Amino acid sequence: MHSVVGFAVFGVDWEFLKPYIVLGLALGGVYALSGVGIVVLYQATGVLNLAFGAIGACGALIAYWMINHTSWPHWLAYVTCVAFGGVVNLAYGLLFGPAFAARDPLVKMMGTLGLALILLGIMAWRAPVGGAFARFLPLPSSSHTFTLFGAFVNWTQVIALAFALVLTAVTTAFLRYTNLGTAYRAIANDREITATLGVPVRRVEASAWFGSGLVAGAAGLLLPDLITSLDYAALTFLVIAALAAALIGRLQSLWVTFAGGLAVGLAQALFAPYASLARYRSAAPFVLAILALLWLSRHRVVTITRTAR
Amino acid sequence: MIEVEGLTVRFSGVTPIDRMSVTFPGGTCGLIGPNGAGKTTFFNVLSGFVRPAAGSIRAFGEDLLGMADYKRARWGLRRTFQTEQAIEQLSVFDNVAMIYEHSGVKGAGKRAEVQAAIQFVGMETPSAAKVGGLGARERRLVEIARAVVGRPRVVLLDEPAAGLPEEETEHLRRVIQTIHDQFGALVVLVDHDMSLVRACCETTAVLDFGRLIASGPTAEVLLDENVIRAYLGTEDIA
Amino acid sequence: MAASRTPGQGAAAAARATFSLDRGSIVRGLAIAVFLAIAIFFLPTIGADWTTTFTSVAIYSVITLGLGLLYGRVGLISLGQVALLVIGVWTSTRLSFATDLPFPVLLLVTGAITCGVGVLIGLPAIRLSGLYLALITLMAAGAVNVVLVAINFPNGGGGFTGRTDTPDLSGLKPVARPSIAEGDTAYYRYVVVVAAVMFLVALLHVRGKPGRAWAAIRESEPAALAAGVNIVLYKLWAFALASFMAGVAGCLLAAQVGQPTAQSFQTQDSLTLLATTLIGGIFSLWGAVVAGCFSQLLPFLFQVQWGINPNFVLILFGAGLLQVLLTAPGGLAQQFPKDMANLGRLVWRGVGKVTGGGSGS
Repeated sequence: MHSVVGFAVFGVDWEFLKPYIVLGLALGGVYALSGVGIVVLYQATGVLNLAFGAIGACGALIAYWMINHTSWPHWLAYVTCVAFGGVVNLAYGLLFGPAFAARDPLVKMMGTLGLALILLGIMAWRAPVGGAFARFLPLPSSSHTFTLFGAFVNWTQVIALAFALVLTAVTTAFLRYTNLGTAYRAIANDREITATLGVPVRRVEASAWFGSGLVAGAAGLLLPDLITSLDYAALTFLVIAALAAALIGRLQSLWVTFAGGLAVGLAQALFAPYASLARYRSAAPFVLAILALLWLSRHRVVTITRTAR
Repeated sequence: MIEVEGLTVRFSGVTPIDRMSVTFPGGTCGLIGPNGAGKTTFFNVLSGFVRPAAGSIRAFGEDLLGMADYKRARWGLRRTFQTEQAIEQLSVFDNVAMIYEHSGVKGAGKRAEVQAAIQFVGMETPSAAKVGGLGARERRLVEIARAVVGRPRVVLLDEPAAGLPEEETEHLRRVIQTIHDQFGALVVLVDHDMSLVRACCETTAVLDFGRLIASGPTAEVLLDENVIRAYLGTEDIA
Repeated sequence: MAASRTPGQGAAAAARATFSLDRGSIVRGLAIAVFLAIAIFFLPTIGADWTTTFTSVAIYSVITLGLGLLYGRVGLISLGQVALLVIGVWTSTRLSFATDLPFPVLLLVTGAITCGVGVLIGLPAIRLSGLYLALITLMAAGAVNVVLVAINFPNGGGGFTGRTDTPDLSGLKPVARPSIAEGDTAYYRYVVVVAAVMFLVALLHVRGKPGRAWAAIRESEPAALAAGVNIVLYKLWAFALASFMAGVAGCLLAAQVGQPTAQSFQTQDSLTLLATTLIGGIFSLWGAVVAGCFSQLLPFLFQVQWGINPNFVLILFGAGLLQVLLTAPGGLAQQFPKDMANLGRLVWRGVGKVTGGGSGS
């Protein structure tokens, strides 16, 4: 009955597409929450953290090691993954944040590329990928499924999407209604002046680094389960999809970032069933990011100051 | 001659230039007014950095606003900036040569013309020295050398004397006074140093709040009541 | 005011202006000649796998040169140079299978096509600056990477992609090296010569009119504009030059490897290129050579000569990148001579003290 109705709508075979829509929404959830993590950090510190994915990948590998090579409880591994994200991000922010504070956003971003290289090097060194050997990081929630509108949904997918939704809502409220949130927005506006107003800028920035890092860790934990593979290279490039979402949100609006993340996830998943396009589906985040960038910069402004170096 | 007709500039809720109409007749012309009067914005419109909401500017009979920004230099527009924009990486010679190269002047006289401009402003350091290592006075002179090389038709000087001590201003005065005679260009001088303006400019226009409030022979303009009031304010007893 | 000159005198004057014959230039010229002599005559004698590595060093220094010019001279960052390199490799492979072009022509054609692609990408992006330009080039590179993995490299098949699932292995000819340089050593020398030509092209640009315009654009766009520089044109010119060099490097790489596969290019190559370019030094053309050594020689040394895991080198690059960004913007090419000069001064002073020179103590 459902499929007959479904087919009648837009001539699309919804029945066929349902599992891809589910996957797309779940992936989109991870992209969306990563996007929010990136945007908030950018707002508070001016740093566009391209090491976001690498941090999550590192955390995931650590969780993998804990689960498969120690007898510690699994929940500890999950917590470690998330906490690792927060700690590494915070460490980078404390060590290098002040040094980069006066530089322009491009240089700040390049610093995070240095961090990404270091993490990639560590991961390639300690956890080499080779031949038929593949790693997996399944979460207990994915073994529980239920049916929704005739599609199979597992709880990890629900968590991914729900977490993204909750994070966006809570962060938006946080930024608008709390003192710390106002401090974030003040710093985003002008760091120097905010400092002279007595706001503890470094502490506020540290909280942003830590919070954003936690989100990176969470993304690193959820993604391997959703794509059923722990491939640190793929995880590192999660940052591209997150970036696409963040750019769609103009590096400002969290809800638009959320929507952007979902769009990127859906675009990527929905190409999969179409054989001729499937191989190109990983290009979806890149293409969307390019379009977002071109749209963002459509007004050209000539500023009459010396370029800060 | 530069004819400005009904020029209006608006951005972000401010109107820095408001229906400004003025004629710069030729020779060396002054443009003065209190801070925020719109003088630098006017220069920015001439340079092409700012697009006006309305109005027209005709320089020597040609429509300046219709020209693409980088083409105006080729036409003969030159300017100095309040914060010197000489390229620190390059030598004095290269800085001036660059203007010459893009000025559309054909022929093989580059070295000679660049040297002539550098000599004209009376620089003492060798032309191969990097601008990054020069002091404020020398940088000002490099700015002016860049403004007079390569057949200039209009030279805009934006507060060339700002921050300079007495003796330097003397030297600057002599240089500015000679620009029109030597190069035939129309000079528009913006500065707060009234003695400099009085010494160099035959005519002066005065802006306040983006509008022209006086123009004519410099001596008369400087005695005009409206001008004095614009600078000093009125005595308003509440 | 301007003395009348004959065209010959004018050209001579222009040449003299570009290559002023003062003592500094003569010393530099000598240094370059000595370096090239060592590279061409001495280096290939060390060993066969050293020669292959040195060939890679030369090839990567060409692509680094392009990026260094873009960032060091114009202030534009492109994170997509590796993608252009890959396009160069693909193009030359495809052309090599489809036509019988002599190698120098293949080099130029590949360079031109890659240049065209680079300019196409650059055109919409040129209004962007700084962060957004870096991001858009990163995205474009990623998209190219996806397409490459999808269509893989040509292997003798027909059609646009030149790939067939059933390659005729008997008649398979890999990308052909120039007939005068088929062996590894001969090909290495050929590559060094091509690289030297690229460096010369870069030098001519930097010392001439484009170099001055680029310096102006990098420091202050309004000043450049007011000076009459057509900013869009000069930015695109820099992009075109960097893309051309990437294309040439790609062709050289294709002939070195013979039969390129998609696995030869890793996703982090864009990052390592950026890191090594900055570490090498973007303000000096020598920096590109240093960067080539870093990115190709160091992993070789680690893995083959010293038995250290080559992935460790990524950590080095990351740390090096951070250090360059924070403390030594000119990279090694700028720091090393300074450090040597400082060391020299210290030594000189030390010698002076020991020999008791100057006024009596």
